[in-house]
Amino acid sequence: MTHRALFLLPLALCLAGCQRETQVEKANREGIMLIGNSSEPKALDLHLVTGVIESKLIGAMFEGLVADDPEKDDGLPPGAAVSWEHNDTLTGWTFHLQPDGRWSDGAPVTAHDFVFSYHRMLHPDLAAPYVEMVYPLKNAEDYNKNRRGKILLTAGAVPNTSWDDMKDVGFGPDAKVDLAPLGESPKWPDLTDDAQRKLFVTAKGLDALPAEALEWILADPAGRYSWPVGTFMAKAKALLTTMAGKASDDLFELAGVGATAVDDYTLQLELREPVPYLPSLVRHYTWFPVPRHVVLKHGKISDRFTPWSLYPNIVGNGPFKLKTWLFHDVIEVDRNPHYWNAANVGLNGIRFLPIENPYTETRAFLSGQLHTTYQLPSDLIKEVRETTPEYLRQEPYVGTTFIRINTTRPVLSDTRVRQALALAIDRQQLCDYIMEGYTPATSLTPKMGSYEPDKVLSFDPEKARALLAEAGYPDGSGFPRFSLLISKPAARASAEAIQAMWKQNLNVLIDIQNKDWGSYISAQQSLDFDMASAGWIGDYLDPTTFLTMWTEGNGNNNTGWHSDRYEELLSGAALEADPAKRLESLRQAERLMMDEYPILPMSWYSRNYLLRPEVKGWHPLLLDNHPYSAIRLEP
Amino acid sequence: MSTPVPVEKGSSLWRDAALRLRKNHAAMPSLVIVALIMLACLVLPSIPGLLADPNVQDLPNKNMSPGSGHWFGTDHLGRDILSRVLFGGRISIAVGLITTFVSVTIGVCWGALAGYIGGRTDALMMRIVDILYALPFLIVVILLGKTIEPFTGKLTEWTVDLFAGSGSTTAKVNDTRTWVEPITTLVPLFIAIGTLSWLTVSRIVRAQVQSVSRMDFVEAARSLGLGHLRILTRHILPNSIGPIIVYTALTIPGVMLFEAVLSFLGLGVKPPNSSWGILIEEGSNRMLSNPWLLLFPSVFFSLTLFSLNFLGDGLRDALDPKSSKD
Repeated sequence: MTHRALFLLPLALCLAGCQRETQVEKANREGIMLIGNSSEPKALDLHLVTGVIESKLIGAMFEGLVADDPEKDDGLPPGAAVSWEHNDTLTGWTFHLQPDGRWSDGAPVTAHDFVFSYHRMLHPDLAAPYVEMVYPLKNAEDYNKNRRGKILLTAGAVPNTSWDDMKDVGFGPDAKVDLAPLGESPKWPDLTDDAQRKLFVTAKGLDALPAEALEWILADPAGRYSWPVGTFMAKAKALLTTMAGKASDDLFELAGVGATAVDDYTLQLELREPVPYLPSLVRHYTWFPVPRHVVLKHGKISDRFTPWSLYPNIVGNGPFKLKTWLFHDVIEVDRNPHYWNAANVGLNGIRFLPIENPYTETRAFLSGQLHTTYQLPSDLIKEVRETTPEYLRQEPYVGTTFIRINTTRPVLSDTRVRQALALAIDRQQLCDYIMEGYTPATSLTPKMGSYEPDKVLSFDPEKARALLAEAGYPDGSGFPRFSLLISKPAARASAEAIQAMWKQNLNVLIDIQNKDWGSYISAQQSLDFDMASAGWIGDYLDPTTFLTMWTEGNGNNNTGWHSDRYEELLSGAALEADPAKRLESLRQAERLMMDEYPILPMSWYSRNYLLRPEVKGWHPLLLDNHPYSAIRLEP
Repeated sequence: MSTPVPVEKGSSLWRDAALRLRKNHAAMPSLVIVALIMLACLVLPSIPGLLADPNVQDLPNKNMSPGSGHWFGTDHLGRDILSRVLFGGRISIAVGLITTFVSVTIGVCWGALAGYIGGRTDALMMRIVDILYALPFLIVVILLGKTIEPFTGKLTEWTVDLFAGSGSTTAKVNDTRTWVEPITTLVPLFIAIGTLSWLTVSRIVRAQVQSVSRMDFVEAARSLGLGHLRILTRHILPNSIGPIIVYTALTIPGVMLFEAVLSFLGLGVKPPNSSWGILIEEGSNRMLSNPWLLLFPSVFFSLTLFSLNFLGDGLRDALDPKSSKD
C-alpha cells in the first residue's frame, strides 16, 4: 500500500505542475467570481442575522426596494421598486414595484411580500436582533414590543374605553419588583398561591400575561392588581376581558403598522417621524422582502430557523440564486433567470469562500484562487505594496473597532473600572503597529459629513491607575480575572497588545478566548461574556447608524447598558426638523454614552483588501456594498 | 583467607544495548541533539537576565530581522523570538514528558495486569482498550480537556498562593502567575492526552508479559512460593522493559506533535504564552513577509522530533532481545 502510494506521488506532483490554469483563470472563462468571505454565515434568513459576512450573501440573493449604486454611495438606482414618491412631511412614502419582478421560483414579487416581510421582522415571537432598523415605520415599535394594551385601546377594540383613560396602567414589566421568591423563570401554570400570583402579575405587567392570568385578575380586579388611582373598575374589566380574549392573537392588523399593500404593485409606507434618507435606508437587508409563499410552507410566520432559508428551499428576488451550500467550504450562487434585470447581470455566478484566516486567504489570492479577499492583514500591506501593488486596495470605510463590555458583570458594572480600562489603551500604538492604516478613535462614530463627536478617549495611564484605585483595586490587586472574547485570528494580535497594555499599565491580567463566528455572536446576544473585541460597520451614511443600537433591548447592544436620557436625546433628534439641531442632539447623546464607557472604541476602520484587475464595475464605496449585478470579469 | 579471584564481568542486557547504541550512527547524534535542545530550553530561561521576557512587547521594534540585538529577530508584536522559542520549548517538552509519563504508567499497569491474570479478566480489559481505540482521539481529547478546564482556575489560584502567599505585592503575585499559569492551564491537556494515549503501550506490555510469564524462570519463582506482585515486579516487568523504553521514546515526539496540533487549533496554550505549536502557527501566517518567524520554531521542533524518532529506532534495535549478543 505504502509503496504504491509512493510510486504515485511523483505522478501527482507532475500533474499538479502541468496544470497551468489557476482557479481564477478557469473562473474567468466561466464568468464566475471567487470572493473570500471570511466566515461561515450564522444563517441566510435576513431577519435573523446582523453580520457583514451575511450581508454579502444576502446582497447577491435578494434585492431591496432601492438598489445599490456601483459607483457612488448616494446613488439611488431602482431595485424592486421602479419609482417612489413621498408626501410633504416626508412621513408617507409610496413605492411602485417592478411589474415584472419575480422570485427565483417564478412567482411574482408583490407588495404583499414586503408587508409580510415587515410583519415577520416585527413579530414579537421572532425576536429579530436587528429589528430596530424598521422602527421608523409607524406603530412598529409598539407592535414589536408587544404593547397589547396600548394597541387594543388605541384601535378602539375595548368598549367604552380609550388609551387616554388607561395609559398610566402598569402594562410593561416592573423592574422594581423582585421575582426571586418565585424561583427561576416562573411560569403562570406553576403558581398556585394567590400571593405568588399577585407578585407575578405585578412584575410582568398586563401586556405579557397569558389569558388565564388575566381571567384570574378579572375575578377580582380591584384586589388582584394595583391600578393607578382613579381607574374606573368597569373600564378595567372591559380592558381585561378584551385582553384575555385576544391574549394569543397576532395584533399586526390592529396595531396599524405603517406598511400597507395598496394593490399588488404599490407599497405604502407610513413613518412615525420624517426620514429624509428613507430610500438610502431601505437599501439595507433588514428592509428586503422575504417570499411569503416559501416562508409559510416551512413554518409559521414567527418560527426561527425554519428550513426556508436553507438549500434548496431558499428563494430570493436578487440577481443570483443559491446553487450549492457546503458547510465551511463554499456557498455558490448562479444567475437567477427570473430577475427583472437579468439581461444586464454580468456574472454567471459567484463563489463565496469562508476562509477565516486572513493570512491563508491572502495566500489563496496570491496563488490565483480568489478574485478578491475579505481583508488584508496589516502585517502584509508592505509586502504586497512592494511585490504586487496592482492588487492592493486601501479605501476609507465607515466603521469602528471597539471592545464591548458586559456591564451586568460585577466589577465591570462600575463606570470607573470601565473608564480606567479605556484610559489604559494606547490607541496610537495600536494603529501605528498593529492595525496599520486605521485611525485612533476618539469616540464611537467616525466623522461623517458635518457630524463630529466630542473627543472623549485618550491614553492616560496615571489617571487610569487612580480611577482603578478609587474603584477599590489599587495597583490592580484583587481585580478579578476576565476574558476577552475574539472570533478571528486577525483580532488576536490587537487582543494580545491590549492584554499587555492592561498588564503593564494597570497590573490587570485578562485571558483571551477564541470562539467561532456563530458562538461568538450568540455569546454576546445572551450576555454570556465579559468583554468582546468587536467592530461595527455603518449601514447608511448617518450617525444614527452607530448610535441607535445602544438603546434598551436592542439586538446589537449586548452590553446590558442603557440610559433613559440617551434614548430621549435620540428620539428628540429623530423628531427634529433642523439638521444642525438634530446633529447637536446626536452629539450630546454620544457624549453621554461615551462618558459611561459601555464600549471602549479603539480605532476607525480603513478597508485593506486585494482585488484582481480583471474585475470591472467595482468602485471604492464607503459602505462597501458593491452590487454584484454590475460586476463584469474582463481578463 | 581467600584472594578475590578476578571475575569476568557478565554482560548484561544494558551493557549490550549501550554498546549497540553507541555504534548506531543515527541514534548517537540524535541523543546529543535532544540533550542539547532540552538543556537549552530548561536551563537558559532560568538564568536571570540572559533572555528577554518572552511576553514583553516592544511595538516600535516589531518584525525585526535576525541580528545582534535579537538573534532570532522579533515577531509582529516586537517580542524576542529567541526567548519565545526557548520558553515555548519548555512547554512543549514539559507536555511531551509529563503526558508520556502519565500514559506509560497507565499503559504498563493495565497491560501487565491483563497479561499476567489472563482469562476473562484479560479479555474484558482488552475489550475496554478496543472500545477506547474506536473513539475519535482528537474529539475526545478536546471534550475531556474542556470538561476539566473549569478546575484549572482553582488550581492556578492554589499554586500561586503556594508560591506567593498572603502579604505579597500584586506585582509579585502577577509575576508568579505568569510562570505558574502556562503549566496549570495545560493540566487538562496532560490528563486528556495521558488518559487516552496509553492504549498502544498496554497492548505491547500485555503481549510481552504473556510471553515472559511462560518462561522457566517465572515458573521457578512461582515454585519458590513468591507472591504474584513480587513475581510481576521483580521478574516479569524487568524482562519486558526493552519495548517499554522504546515505546516511551517514540511517544514523546507523538505527544509533542499533538500539543502542536491542539495549539495550532487554539486549544492548547493560551496567549500570550507560547509553545512551538503556537509559534509555528503565528509564523506560518506571516511566512510571506517574515519567514524567520516560521523558520526558527520549525527548526527546533523538527530537530527534536527527528532526533527523538531516530533515538527511539536506535533503542529498539539496541534492546531487541532477538538480535545476537555479538
